[in-house]
Amino acid sequence: MPFVARLRSIRNLLFRKEQLEADLDLELKAFVEEVTARHVARGMTHDAARKAALLEVGSLDAVKDDVRRARLGNSLETTIGDARYAWRGLRRAPGFAIVAILTLGLGIGATTAIFSVVNALLLADLPFRDPGRLVMVWNDVTFGGYGRGPLAAAELYDLRQRSTVFDGFGGIWANTTVLTDRDPEQIRIGLVTADFFTLLGASPALGRVFRLEDDEEGAAPTILLSDALWRRRFGGDVSIVGRTVEVDHGRSTVIGVMPAGFRPMLPTDSNVPDDLQAWLPLGAIRSGTAPRGQRFLRVVGRMKPGVTLGAAQKEIASIGEQTGREHAFYGPAGLKLYGVGLHAESVRETRPTLLALLAGVGLLLVVACVNVAGLLAARAAARTRETAVRIALGAGTGRLLRQYAIEGLVLGAFGGLAGLFIGRVGLAALIALRPSTLGRIDRATLDPTVLAFTAGVALTWGLLLSLAPLAEIRGVTSASPSSARRSMRGLRPGLLTPYSRRAALVVCQVAVSVVLLVAAGLLGRAFLMLVRSDPGFSSAGIVTFRVAQNWARFDSPEKVIAFTRELRARLALLPGVTGAGAISHLPYDDGLPNWGTPYLDEGDNNPANAGTADTRSVMPGFFEAVGATLVEGRFFVEADAMNALPVTIVDDRLAKRMWPGQSAIGKRLVGDPRTTGLPQQTVTVVGVVRHLRHRRPAIEVREQLYYPFEQAPRNPMAYVVRSDLDIGRLAPLIRQTLAAIDPGSPAADIRPLNDYVDSARAARRFAAVLAAAFAAAALGLAAIGVYGVAAYGVALRRRELGVRIALGATRRRILGLVVGESTRLAAAGLGIGLLGAAAAAVSLRTQLYGVTAFDPISYGVAIPSLAAAVIVAAWLPARRAMRVSPLESLRAE
Amino acid sequence: MAKRPAELLKGTLDMLILKTLELEPRHGLGISDRIAQITRGTFAVKPGSLFPALHRLEQVGFIAATWGATEAGRPAKYYELTPAGRKRLVVEQRNWARIVLAVGQVLEAE
Repeated sequence: MPFVARLRSIRNLLFRKEQLEADLDLELKAFVEEVTARHVARGMTHDAARKAALLEVGSLDAVKDDVRRARLGNSLETTIGDARYAWRGLRRAPGFAIVAILTLGLGIGATTAIFSVVNALLLADLPFRDPGRLVMVWNDVTFGGYGRGPLAAAELYDLRQRSTVFDGFGGIWANTTVLTDRDPEQIRIGLVTADFFTLLGASPALGRVFRLEDDEEGAAPTILLSDALWRRRFGGDVSIVGRTVEVDHGRSTVIGVMPAGFRPMLPTDSNVPDDLQAWLPLGAIRSGTAPRGQRFLRVVGRMKPGVTLGAAQKEIASIGEQTGREHAFYGPAGLKLYGVGLHAESVRETRPTLLALLAGVGLLLVVACVNVAGLLAARAAARTRETAVRIALGAGTGRLLRQYAIEGLVLGAFGGLAGLFIGRVGLAALIALRPSTLGRIDRATLDPTVLAFTAGVALTWGLLLSLAPLAEIRGVTSASPSSARRSMRGLRPGLLTPYSRRAALVVCQVAVSVVLLVAAGLLGRAFLMLVRSDPGFSSAGIVTFRVAQNWARFDSPEKVIAFTRELRARLALLPGVTGAGAISHLPYDDGLPNWGTPYLDEGDNNPANAGTADTRSVMPGFFEAVGATLVEGRFFVEADAMNALPVTIVDDRLAKRMWPGQSAIGKRLVGDPRTTGLPQQTVTVVGVVRHLRHRRPAIEVREQLYYPFEQAPRNPMAYVVRSDLDIGRLAPLIRQTLAAIDPGSPAADIRPLNDYVDSARAARRFAAVLAAAFAAAALGLAAIGVYGVAAYGVALRRRELGVRIALGATRRRILGLVVGESTRLAAAGLGIGLLGAAAAAVSLRTQLYGVTAFDPISYGVAIPSLAAAVIVAAWLPARRAMRVSPLESLRAE
Repeated sequence: MAKRPAELLKGTLDMLILKTLELEPRHGLGISDRIAQITRGTFAVKPGSLFPALHRLEQVGFIAATWGATEAGRPAKYYELTPAGRKRLVVEQRNWARIVLAVGQVLEAE
């Protein structure tokens, strides 16, 4: 049917139904009139003539029915017929159908699983009201090695005062506190400005979120619980709202419970983790007088409706600039504030990984589909005779084209269904195995967007695949059965023989697999480099836990210090313990905000020259317990006490920058061990340690300053215990030890230090393992493709091979012939693939740690794996070729 | 297998209808009269087959319908060949010849 006519008929069917009906009515009436008139003309009475006419026509309704069915059927009949034909075709060859559908299903399923994660994390909105209006504000302290720093309370105050295009700005700061009633427990909390939740547009499951009054000075203390804490500690008791709980020995009223799955969704490097257990008001920020060096707030603003991100960013920057000029504190560097859309910011770290995985799985799908195309082509070749007969019986090219398209769509539909099932299983596996740093993956579901995506992928590939048999029958179109027979033997002359066509597909397949192999190799190597890289400490055999001392009981520094000394002494006496110490921040623990302080060379009085270093408070024994390397000087000792000479230990990077070529020992710095925001205390360097990697690999490395705990007290502190006891036996001993000193200061997170190290690498391992799985699957599929084309080649050349054997070719030669041909194909694919891999590697560069995009080992590894796969794949056909009997080929003529 | 003759017949009816319209537009009764005439009564097309066939052909775009008046002045729907229909008629005739030939050969070969 011509295309326009088809469109018209569909339109008529849909929209002109009544008109068509009326028209049909009139037409039939006129017909009856005409027949009646004819009978009257032959001499019948009018009544008799009419009766006879109606009798001839039969039931008018039946005729109308038939007409309607004819109209409707015409549009659907052939389509349904084709679909039925396709279905019968699949049923007739169940082996083909199962292999094709499973191959497609695997490719589509893997793609679906990865896409659903991409959809949930990158495409879907943040789960807040009107999330497009949320902006994250950063403080660019690049000169201090901190491009994405937090804001000081005074800076938040300035933003609030001066902004015109924002509804407001809220701040959050992650910390810990202790629930001190029955069974004391340390929890991770977010200290928030009272408007934080209303600005996000996050609603509680029970009760309310904070109100401005909660932030007032003298307001009754309040606490907002997370769903997890509420269920575990308070048994999911709905009457909790309005009751008080004991927080750090004070009574706080529970105002509400956030819903399960609520997360602040801030970027990982904001140190505001998703799994905070409760939120407390930060206390009012009512003036700009707080120290501007105390930067700790992660700030989120909500733009007024209709304001563009560009305008908002401009305003944030200009407020920063203005404030920077007004306060001498900032010096010539000024204050550089900048805003980024919260969504873009919250996925900044995961986006490249996810996009790389999506691209990888897309390539895997291509490899899978090429295999199915090979199957379809082989089947079409086997059906050339049938096709030739159909053409002889009048099936036009259009009709065949449509039939193949529908076959492709039917195959695509089944492949899509299989893919949905496999994708569901795959997604469940991804969620179950996700590393904690990719916790948000659990938001991924097969939602309508994913279903539409999967359907689109399945049907598009179905249509593309229908081209494979089409190419195969192109020469048959005008054919008589005899030429069809010829083409079956593959002897039909032409530019692209069926063999070379399939060989070309296999070359593509090999090339794509090589890209995946190299990419997986690079990611795997980068992960190995990470594992092998020396973090400056050893985590083996170390158990860690955090203690938050309750300040109400330890109300003087002397008492606090006495507690820590006693705890260290008792820990050292536990069986099997060979070292114990403590540090304010465990390596790779992102749950606590990083601590950075400014420092100046002694004698330099300009605060604008201050560098910023990652700062840690350390108790004696820590460096020894974790096996840190002392470059020069000494570690901290008990004598570095509160009233002793203020001292510091610096890392080798700081020492090298400040005093290149000199010993750092005895040098003096002006530091800020008590976090006032300004360098104000002179400290003497007593030791230099090798840089300790204690922040995640994705975060830039800064210089480090270590202060003795008693001169720079922090709460909580993380204790490390080196011991040959396993954690199961050590943990109860640790709890008993603590309870004996103070039952109100419980141990939290008793975990091996290895846990932190593993979780810091987990996201990369996850990506590397997935990439390796994709590459292995692609290589397997490509091997099947090579096998297919080698087997096809042997079948085509059976007679030739027979003649060769008859003429005395050794089996070895025949083997070499077949394997050599496959190797040539693989080599072509390898060449193209290596070029593609280099291009892909460049775009992967941000994912690579310690490996260049042209790492020769990663490229090198791809070659033997490919060679092995190709030789295995060509082996079976080659053996079949060796067994060709020369007699058989002579008889065949 | 049982469906084959029916399909053949349907195709044949379409071809016959197109053939009757080759020279001039006709209405339903005119078409069935003409078919009876040229096949010398071998095929008497009943309205129950005629109208569905006409509508199918119209929908596909091989014939087009307009309302007109009969010689006696009664309203009637007239069908005429479209250019696509004319082409189709040529193809159908050629196919028909081929089928006749092929079937003839098969019968001879047996």
